[in-house]
Amino acid sequence: MRVSNLSNRLARCARAAAALAGVALLQGCVWFDGPQSTFDPAGPVAREQLNLFYLTCWVSLVIFVLVGGALAYAMFKFRAKTEADTHAEPPEQAHGNPLVEVGLIGASVLALVIIAIPTLKDIWFSYDLPEAEKANAYEVTATGYQWWFKFEYPKETAQTIDPTGKLVNAALTTGNELVIPAGRPVHINLRTVDVIHSFWIPKLAGKVDMMPNRANFLWVEADKPGYFWGQCAEFCGESHAVMRFRVIALKPSEFYAWVAAQSAPARRVPVPDGASPKAEFASYKSFHVNEPGYTDRYDGLSPLDEWRKQQLLPNPVDEDPALIAKGRALFTAKTCIQCHTIRGDAGLGVAGPELTHVGSRTTIAGGLLENNRDELHRWIHAPNEVKPGNKMWVTGYLVNNIKLTPDDENALVAYLSSLK
Amino acid sequence: MEQALAKSDFLAKEERVAKPLVLWRPTAKTGLVSWLTTVDHKRIGFLYGGCALFFLVMGGIEALLIRIQLAVPNNTFLTSAQYNEMFTMHATTMIFLVVMPLGAAFFNFVMPLQIGARDVAFPRLNAFSFWVFLVGAIILNLGWFMKDGAPDAGWFGYAPLTTRQFSPTHAIDMWVMGLQLLGVASIAAALNFIVTIINLRAPGMTMMRLPVFTWMTLFTSFLIILSFPAITIALVEVMMDRLFGTNFFEVSNGGMPILWQHLFWIFGHPEVYILILPAMGVISEILPTFARKPLFGYPIVVFSGASIGFLGFGVWSHHMFATGMGTMATAAFAMMTMAIAVPTGVKMFNWIGTIWGGHLSMRVPMMFALGFLWMFMIGGLSGIMHAAAPADLQQHGSYFVVAHFHYVLIGGSLFALLAGLHYWFPLLFGRRVSEFWGKVAFWLIFIGFNVTFFPMHFLGLEGMPRRTFTYDGNMGWNLGNMVSTIGAMILAIGIGVDLVAMLYTYYKGERTHKDPWDARTLEWSLPNPPMEYNFQQIPHIHARDGWWYEKHHKEEIAKENAERAKAEHDDHGIHMPFQSIYPFLAGLGILIGGIGVSVIDPADPKIYTGFWGPKIAVTILGGLFMFVSVVLWSLEGCEGYHIHLNEDGSIKGEDPHAGYGAKH
Repeated sequence: MRVSNLSNRLARCARAAAALAGVALLQGCVWFDGPQSTFDPAGPVAREQLNLFYLTCWVSLVIFVLVGGALAYAMFKFRAKTEADTHAEPPEQAHGNPLVEVGLIGASVLALVIIAIPTLKDIWFSYDLPEAEKANAYEVTATGYQWWFKFEYPKETAQTIDPTGKLVNAALTTGNELVIPAGRPVHINLRTVDVIHSFWIPKLAGKVDMMPNRANFLWVEADKPGYFWGQCAEFCGESHAVMRFRVIALKPSEFYAWVAAQSAPARRVPVPDGASPKAEFASYKSFHVNEPGYTDRYDGLSPLDEWRKQQLLPNPVDEDPALIAKGRALFTAKTCIQCHTIRGDAGLGVAGPELTHVGSRTTIAGGLLENNRDELHRWIHAPNEVKPGNKMWVTGYLVNNIKLTPDDENALVAYLSSLK
Repeated sequence: MEQALAKSDFLAKEERVAKPLVLWRPTAKTGLVSWLTTVDHKRIGFLYGGCALFFLVMGGIEALLIRIQLAVPNNTFLTSAQYNEMFTMHATTMIFLVVMPLGAAFFNFVMPLQIGARDVAFPRLNAFSFWVFLVGAIILNLGWFMKDGAPDAGWFGYAPLTTRQFSPTHAIDMWVMGLQLLGVASIAAALNFIVTIINLRAPGMTMMRLPVFTWMTLFTSFLIILSFPAITIALVEVMMDRLFGTNFFEVSNGGMPILWQHLFWIFGHPEVYILILPAMGVISEILPTFARKPLFGYPIVVFSGASIGFLGFGVWSHHMFATGMGTMATAAFAMMTMAIAVPTGVKMFNWIGTIWGGHLSMRVPMMFALGFLWMFMIGGLSGIMHAAAPADLQQHGSYFVVAHFHYVLIGGSLFALLAGLHYWFPLLFGRRVSEFWGKVAFWLIFIGFNVTFFPMHFLGLEGMPRRTFTYDGNMGWNLGNMVSTIGAMILAIGIGVDLVAMLYTYYKGERTHKDPWDARTLEWSLPNPPMEYNFQQIPHIHARDGWWYEKHHKEEIAKENAERAKAEHDDHGIHMPFQSIYPFLAGLGILIGGIGVSVIDPADPKIYTGFWGPKIAVTILGGLFMFVSVVLWSLEGCEGYHIHLNEDGSIKGEDPHAGYGAKH
């Protein structure tokens, strides 16, 4: 009777402990499942790297317990506890024990071998795809700029409109949001136009640097469609901290639909004859320096669905075609075209991100701000307050002496938002 | 030994007369002039230590500003430009102006005493090393007072960010100049220490009887003279690019930025061991003293130190796993990095072996030393994690790395150096830091340190990159950063308590008798603080742990000493080197020239006229000033004078206690 009582009680305790551990684990997850957490891999490269990390963790933990245990034991066991201990005759003046030394050296080497073998295997695995799978890999090129990323799709062809009005082929280029097919290896060529950047999508793969004069690359594979956060991981100057990007993995059919949509020239909203911009007082939220540029829109369970919503055309009621047309004209007049390209509209600039379909992106300003009208206005209104030292401000606004009136800003925001 | 000395100039020959070109022989023993002209290794050590502690406070303030900025997401306490200056100068300061000079302070003060020498081999060169170090430190920090601002390209200064195109201001010029000068200072000091250890050991002090701290001084010095040339070359290349338009790192003209990384890290990794080996030496002195038994496996501890130094030159590219080196190079450097863990682990085993079976008296130095063992173990284990290259691709450049190297550099180097400060404080000043305040400081530092840096492991694995002035609140990094900032405050309070306690002790602390810890090595055979001439008689060493042996063979030693004192007295007394102003003046010339070089702007059309003109003149003037000083220095010759001692050790005809820091 007593025994069964005790076992009952033990079982109850065990259940309580398990529940507690579960809560702790759950909280652990809250702590570990951030958007850039390496504990939550979404592809084979990151998974292998995480497994190797866990192995090093376990080996380290065993070493720590053994060595730390010995150290803790020695600290407490041999502590001089009283005055008498302190002034006692010194202990035996022993100089060491070669057998112990050699044994410990042997044990350390063994522990390292346990780590070394999978390390070697993974070095080859994470560096490049196996030969057999290379043909299947989708190729993109990522280029680092101070402080944003350009993405090119060398396998695809986009269209633009030449000055005679003819549709001609052009390269497919986007900025700051890399869309890739899921379930298929992607070979990313890494380039830079200025200083060293490092391309890091923690959930898909460890980082590889973008080095000047060096043809680096990285391969990733997303298991399933998803929306991933990335960030530059090598100090690259004043705004290094705000040089971010997103990776969107789509199932192949959706991916190719996206490619087709992006390949088209910029969307143009027809302007009824004689229409002029509606007189409206556009009010935008005002921001202070370094104010967060995100909402909880992408923190939910499926940021990918939010991305999909971003692809949809706006309700025609919300658009003012004449205002958009004014924005299009301003885009040329205010010299934006010197750095930005909008295929089919204007501009051949390559120093800044291509904006042909900027409205379909979830972020602007190098992955820093969510793409909505308030943030767009914030970005073109005072770029230096968002991204200190950025080139649009330093070599654009300041050099070309760009001044935008509130009406100008309003028109530009309408235009850029319309570029779905 | 005696023969070699007789042949050299070290023992002055009475018939020599002072050369006519000597303009001034300073003889002041107190006051400013005595400090500017000193060649006493103990005073120079004191100067190094004072500067290091000053810069510890500065670097600490920079760290606190960084932590305040990162306490909450999207903070605006610092701008990104200010933040980049902070982390650049925090790292540069802590490495070059705190840990290295604090190590140098102990090398200077303790090492000659440990080997039974009366000074280092080249006393004036030693003074010169200090003054050049100070000049380098000043030039590095000049930017705080200038419109251009402090250096802001990171302590690693990766090209091409440091080229004129991307860093147009003089901040980088000052950084380049300052680091080069620190290199000159370190190399000169290192050569001095090597020659001293090889040549000036007391009779009977064979290499395998050297205290481990002296061994580590020797290894560190070799690492310095072998590794600093690499960064000097790299810095000269950056300087040539910036000032004279060469193309070492100019990408548009075919420059290779990867070259900088190789040159920098082939310096940079041995530099890590330059920072940690002295710490290991200090620990290897403190543990045996407070465990009251000899170091466990002395030869293996020494040999593992040598192995670390040697292997340390073969692991540099583990800082570059993400640069796309290819599989074979990555594999080779990963394996080498794992290999270097073995001698490091061996040291840990031997330290535990040392306290095993001892009588551990838990005084403040011992607390810091045991703290070192724990913290360094954690830092070492996260180091092994980095050696697994593919896993490191996730950790590299993230806060995980920040956590790792702070465990090694604070939990390792700084804990050991603080342990050393508490340990040798009685020898330096004849006073002892109170146990109570020492332990309060220890626990504050220990807790604050762990609270600051342990969460950073998780921040890094959660994807937070280093060197970022801001982060968004939705990344899951808020809690870790806030905790870390709170820890940094506790750590700062702990360091503050420790420094104040030391300062108080310097003036008013409890006096101690000679050898208060019942220590084992020769420096403790001296009265505290030691006299200017160190040893009344050059001791003869009979065993490893020479002083312990002396204490246990008192009669034998007393007899020997009496004989030698008589012999030395009958001969010519104790030879002392003359003081000299020229090392200081040469340093002053370098300061003037260095400031000139680091503010010249070749793109300025008015470089030869107007405001820029004088700056070239200043550079040339500084160079000339240095040249003339060095010429006078060499003409002055390395003579000295002799002192004769009274029975009690005081100098005949002089105030016995005048001079370095003595307050009796």
